[in-house]
Order: sequence, then structure tokens, then C-alpha cells
Amino acid sequence: MTSGLLARRGGALVVFGAAALAPLVVRDTFFLDALVLILMWGAASAAWNVASGYAGQVSLGHSAFFGIGAYSAALLSARFDRSPWVGLVLGVLLSLAAGAVIGYLSNRLRGPYFALSTIAFSQVLLIVASRWRGFTAGSEGIPVPFRPGFWTLGLGHVAWLYLTLALAVLFYAVEVYLERSRVGFQLAGVREDEDAAEALGIASRRLKVAAVTASAALTAVCGALWAQYVGFVDPFYVFSVDLSIRFALNTIIGGTGTALGPWLGSILITSLETYLRATFSGVKTGFTGIYLIIYGAVLILVVRFLPEGLAGLAARWRTAAARARA
Amino acid sequence: MDPARRLGPAEIDALAQLAVSTVLLGGIYALIAVGLTLVFGIMRVVNFAHGEFLMLGMYLAFWAFALWSLDPYVVLFASIPIFFLVGLVSYVLVMRGVITASHNVQIFTTVGLSVALQNAALVAWTGDFRYIRPWHSSVVLRVGATAFNLSQVVAFLIAVALTVALFAFMKLTHTGRVMRATAQDREAATLMGIDTDRVYRLTWAIGTAAVGAAGVLVAPLYSVYPTAGLQFVLLAYVVVVLGGLGDMVGALLGSVIVAAVEVVGSYVIGAAWKEVLYFVLFIAVLVFRPAGLFGQRGAEMLGA
Amino acid sequence: MLRLDRVTKRFGGLTAVREVTLEVAPGELLGIIGPNGAGKTTLFNVIAGFYRPDEGRVFFDGHDVTGRSPHAICRLGLTRTFQIVKPFGNLSVLDNVTIGSLTRVTSVRSARVDAERVIETCGLAPYAGVRARALPVGLRKRLEVARALATRPRLLLLDEVMAGLNPAELMGMVDLIRRLHAEGLTLVVIEHIMAAMMRLARRIVVLHHGELIATGAPAEVAADRRVIDAYLGEEFVLAQA
Repeated sequence: MTSGLLARRGGALVVFGAAALAPLVVRDTFFLDALVLILMWGAASAAWNVASGYAGQVSLGHSAFFGIGAYSAALLSARFDRSPWVGLVLGVLLSLAAGAVIGYLSNRLRGPYFALSTIAFSQVLLIVASRWRGFTAGSEGIPVPFRPGFWTLGLGHVAWLYLTLALAVLFYAVEVYLERSRVGFQLAGVREDEDAAEALGIASRRLKVAAVTASAALTAVCGALWAQYVGFVDPFYVFSVDLSIRFALNTIIGGTGTALGPWLGSILITSLETYLRATFSGVKTGFTGIYLIIYGAVLILVVRFLPEGLAGLAARWRTAAARARA
Repeated sequence: MDPARRLGPAEIDALAQLAVSTVLLGGIYALIAVGLTLVFGIMRVVNFAHGEFLMLGMYLAFWAFALWSLDPYVVLFASIPIFFLVGLVSYVLVMRGVITASHNVQIFTTVGLSVALQNAALVAWTGDFRYIRPWHSSVVLRVGATAFNLSQVVAFLIAVALTVALFAFMKLTHTGRVMRATAQDREAATLMGIDTDRVYRLTWAIGTAAVGAAGVLVAPLYSVYPTAGLQFVLLAYVVVVLGGLGDMVGALLGSVIVAAVEVVGSYVIGAAWKEVLYFVLFIAVLVFRPAGLFGQRGAEMLGA
Repeated sequence: MLRLDRVTKRFGGLTAVREVTLEVAPGELLGIIGPNGAGKTTLFNVIAGFYRPDEGRVFFDGHDVTGRSPHAICRLGLTRTFQIVKPFGNLSVLDNVTIGSLTRVTSVRSARVDAERVIETCGLAPYAGVRARALPVGLRKRLEVARALATRPRLLLLDEVMAGLNPAELMGMVDLIRRLHAEGLTLVVIEHIMAAMMRLARRIVVLHHGELIATGAPAEVAADRRVIDAYLGEEFVLAQA
């Protein structure tokens, strides 16, 4: 039993354990920054995973919720001088409402139709955020003031690392819950075949709405923290389709519907991006796109040949190893 | 505008201009959208990389003009076979393997293609906005009180000609009928000895050629940059969903509707907010008439 | 236990089920037969809450369940299977059945125990760890029944669970249905092939063009002129019977 637990959760222990110990070894801000981003993008992708992986409602508009979180936190702290934590709570509440609307759409639309409607939703928010100059500062974006302290989220790199690590562990726990709990089993049923799930007594519609709503709220948390961490909110970034795709990319490469997958994908994508950006920044900005060409190609290959992603590959190796021992 | 005011000559002129602009824009949107709806109708794949082929068409026009001073309308003739070939290659390399896979696999295959192409353009040609301004883009035609630019008129005429040609192909040729039969019932088509792989290959290549040509046509009218496809493809989705996914005639009507919303929207509430209008329209149609304004209900629940 | 009162369901101009009135007593095993397109599956869809009838009402156990959602009806104790089986393809057989059990049991652990017992009953124990999509058709039909049983129904609707089975599998399925019936479960069984039904049910109703044209003991029904007419276009099936 214990060894089984270790085999199943060992990967998470390694990933999160390494992140926890990293500041003891390195104090280099470049490195710590990369780690924070890996954990944060992993968490945002895990949030996407709740709706798209576990509940099977594939969204390409999750940047909408990320942006809602980012704008709530940024506006409250930059314009109204409130703590970004208050903004975070506000962002979560707004995303709960928006998520319920999108979740309702998932009951009327399936597959590509649902994905298209989520893109349209995020585009509407993008336009509103970039054009409503009086309130959002429009397309220039909002600089977020840095005020040292935990309440104002003006933190050093090490503090940010532990904050995002806590976030990551929390989201990971949510996903593990979705794998092992009653709700998780029922959600898997809905994902696999909605009619069959319904016939077996599962309130599939309510469950889907709940999953998309929860996923939206978790995404908003990431957006709010990200805004404080980066210190600037650009509507064309936080509401972009690219960002939505990034959540999907991390998760699919790492393993859709697996708990650790989003971070596995994030480790690969974020670190290569960070490396390319550092190496080519200023010289040839276009070069940073190289990692996206690679990941676009990898995405095509993964969905076709390795639909369970890196986590699935690891599981396959484990079974093979177990069989070899037996 | 004050609705109580009676229409004076100025308003009538404005209306005429709006109507003409709508038609011109609608024709171009139709060519952009028709490939998307063709691919969906026959292959049941929503191509999220559609906009990237458009973007590549725009770059083709740009480089041909910048390097060899070739007019986009000359490049157009070359672009059709070139993009037909691009379509064939991308089908064989990317799409063939997932044609019977689940929706989610297909969505992310084309999303992956989109990401790769967009960033290939970014790396190769940087993110700079580029423009081509051949002589005809600065010629203004005036008919009565309406004025429009020559490039736009020519683009419209060619787009309509190409769309009509595609319709004729689908309706009148044997291959076109075979393609439509496959769209009706994939399994029955296989049983009747139709080579469905060939049909899909051809469909994808035609869809790509149509949108590539559209890219060349719009290059003189808009700026060219790696993510240029996105704004058009979002439009094309709106068009195609309005017309009913897979419905080619519907796509034509959808194009005119979207163009009208855009033209009238920019006139009434300003260019900045017009996009909100058609995305709201888009979501409303998805929710209330998911099979399109003219389609039968229920298709979206089959996940068709 | 189940009562249909003049149930009608139309699709556009087509009336798939017309004024069907029917009663199922507790502990009964009722067979529904009829040629293809007779409206049998539509009737199940109406009973189980997948379609709302255009007219008429459905009562289960004293509750008016007309227009209620399928999951609510399942929780009342009425579960159906699907003619075209709908396994949770990427999940194991055990997980498939566990999802059914979780409708009655809140803890995953006890649902597992429960599911294992059901799997045993249905003869699926050797396949507990196999992914559902990897199962052959015969076993998928069994899984369909097992999953439904796990929701502890008092009335079970079986939609052509014997179709497409080889003779050995068919025997096994008939045996399973008989055992469930002997344990007191009320069953309504749709079957296209009359032969299997003749051996199972005490009472059979016949649907034709959405209408209930005959009801009675298997021998009576088989001798009924209208039933023979209904099946006339399908002599092949009768010959098999």
C-alpha cells in the first residue's frame, strides 16, 4: 500500500520537493523566477485540466478567467488602493459567475462548438478590457504598484516561490480529489459518456457546470497572483487565445486528466521559453517563437501517439517495470 | 444618430456607402469562410489552423511584391496551386492520422498546427507589421455618392468568382458529388467503394487553396503579421456558425450578415466596439440556434 | 410498479410511440417485442426520462416521473441499459461498475466492494482490470447490465442485451436474467428476436409502428394474427424463431 502510494505520488513528491528545496541551494533570481513561473503556469494549467481534462469540456477560452483574476487584482490595487488579496477574492467571485455561464453553454454545445464559444467569450472580454479606457486603462495595460509586504503581495523571489508552491500543492490536491473521490468517478463517467452517466443516476449537467465553474475560479486565482508577480497587466496577453492554448499545451503534453501532468508540461515549456527568451532577448525577439514551433509539433504528435502525455508514459514504464520484476 | 430625424440626402448617401461596403466585405469573408465550412461539412473537422493558411497567403503576396514587385493579382494565380499543395502535404503529414479520432484529438491537432505555423512565421519573418501598397490600393472609385478603393473591388470580384467556381465544382462535377456523398454518410460512401481518404485529401487541399488565395487577396487591404490570421479566422467561425457549420450557401449569407454587422457597427458605435457585436451575435447564435440561422436543430448535440 | 398511461412520442411528422398504455407488476418479467423501428427503444427512452412524451404520463412506484431527468428516475430505482452499449471506454470494468454503485453508496471504498460483488454475479470478475473498450461485444453487453445492476434498481429495463451474442453467451445472458428475476427484480426486456423472449418472459407485449398491438403469454402472442402480419416482412427473423 505504502509503496503503491509512493509509486503513484512519487512524481509529485520529486517535483514539489525539488521546488521546496531549491532556494536552499540556489539564490539566483533568474532561476527562482523560472521556478515561480513553472509552478504558476502549472497551476493555471491544472485549473484548465479540471474542466477540460477531468470533465472533458475542452475550453480554448480559459484566458478569460485568468484575465478576470488579473484585472480584478490589478485594478483594486492600482486604482482603489485595496489589497490584491481582496482583488483575488473579487476575481474568484466574478469568475464563478462567468464560469457558471460558460458551464451552462457546455450543456448546450459539445466538442468543437463548445471550444468555439469559449474562444468567443474570451475575445469579448479582450475587447472590453482593451477598449474601455476610462476604467481599465485600455490597451496600454495597467502597471501594478509594488508595495512590500504579504498583505500587498510585494514579496521577494523566495517568498513568491513558496507562495506558488503552496498554490501548486493545493491545486494538485484538488486534482487528486477528482481522481479518487465519488465526484471524481462520476465526472469521469460524464466525460466518457454523458447519456450512460445520466442513466446511472448521475446529475451530469449540474456536475459539468460545477466542474467548469470550479475550473474558472481556480484559473482566476492564478491570474490574480500572476498580475502581482509580474507587476503589469496587458489585455492582449491575459485575454489572448495564445494563453488559453498554453494552459492546454502544458496539460496535454504532461498528461490530460492526470494530476501531475500540468506541471510536467509546464517544466518543459516554461523552462525552454525562459531559456530562449534570456538567450535571444533584444537580439532577435522572433527567435523566442522557436519553442512554440516545437511545441506545436509536439502537441500534434502527443495527441496522436501519446494521448496520455508524459504522465501516461511514466505509468506505462511503471507497469512494464512491474511486469519485468514479476 | 437621432432616429426621429428624417433621412436627408447625407443619410441616404451614407446608407448607400454602408450597403456597398457590406457587399464588398461580405464577398471577401465568404471566400475566407467557404474553405472552413467545406472542411467541416465533409471531414467533420473544425480547422483551428484555418487562419494560419490565410496568414501564409498574405505573406506570399507580401514577399512576391517586396522581392519581385509582383502584383498580388498575379500572385493569386500561383497561390492556388501552391496552397493546394500545402494542403495536400499538411493533410498527409498531420490530418490523415486523426481523421477518425475523437473531437478533442482533432481540435488539438489543428491547434498544434496553428501554433507551429504562426510561430514559424514569427521566427522567419519577425513580428513586424508589414504592408503592401500596389498602385491599385490608392485608386478610389466613385459611383454616385459612394466611394471605394479599387483593391477592395477587385478582391471582391475575384473572391466571388472563386467562390462561385467552388460551388460549381461541388454541384456539377462527379468529384464534387462524391465529396458531398461522403459528407452525407461516411460509412455508406466507403461501402459504395468511394476512396474516402482521397476525398478528405482533396477537401483539405481545396479548403487550404481557397483560404490561401483569400490571404493573397486581402494582403493589400490589411497589415501582414504572424497572428494576422487570428482576427480573420474568428470572423470566419462567426460566419460559418451563422450559416450552419458545413453549409456552403449558409456561409455566403453568414458572410453578408457579419459584414453588415461590422460595417453598420463601426458606423453607429465606432470601430472600436464593433467586434463585441459580432462575438455577442456569435455566442447568441451558438446558444439559441446552434445549427446556424437556417439549419436544423440538434446537429450540435450530436457533436456532428 | 410501472404504469404508462396513453404515452405518445412524436418526432416531427413521425409518431414513434402512439398511445401506449401498459402496466408492469412487481416481480414481473415483461418482454417487449416488435419489428425494427417499432418504437421499442423510443418507449424505453420515454420511460427512463431521456425523452419527454408529447402526451400521456409515466408512473413509477406511485410517482409521476413524466418529464423527470434520467438521473432522478434512476435514483428512484429504475435503471435502463442501452441497445448500442455505452461503456465508459477508457475506464476499467471495475471502475465502470463502481460509478454505478456510487449512486447508492457515498464512500468510494464501499462502492468498490459493492462493484466487485456485482461483477462476480455477472461473471465479469476475470476482466475487472480490463479497459472497457478492449472488451469483446458479448462482454460489453454484460458490463452494460452489471453497471445498471450496481445502481440497485427495483426495475431494470434491458434493451436488446441478447442481440449479437453467440449461442454460449446467449445462454449465459438468459441464465443471468433468470437469476435476477428469481431474486425478485422486476424486469422489462426488449428483444428483437422472438425466440429468446419465448423462453424468458411469462407475458409479452408487441409493438408495431409505435402501437401496442398484442399482449399475452408467449404462445398466445406468437399465434396472434396481427403479430404474424407485423413480422411478415421479416420472415427471416420468424424462421430463426
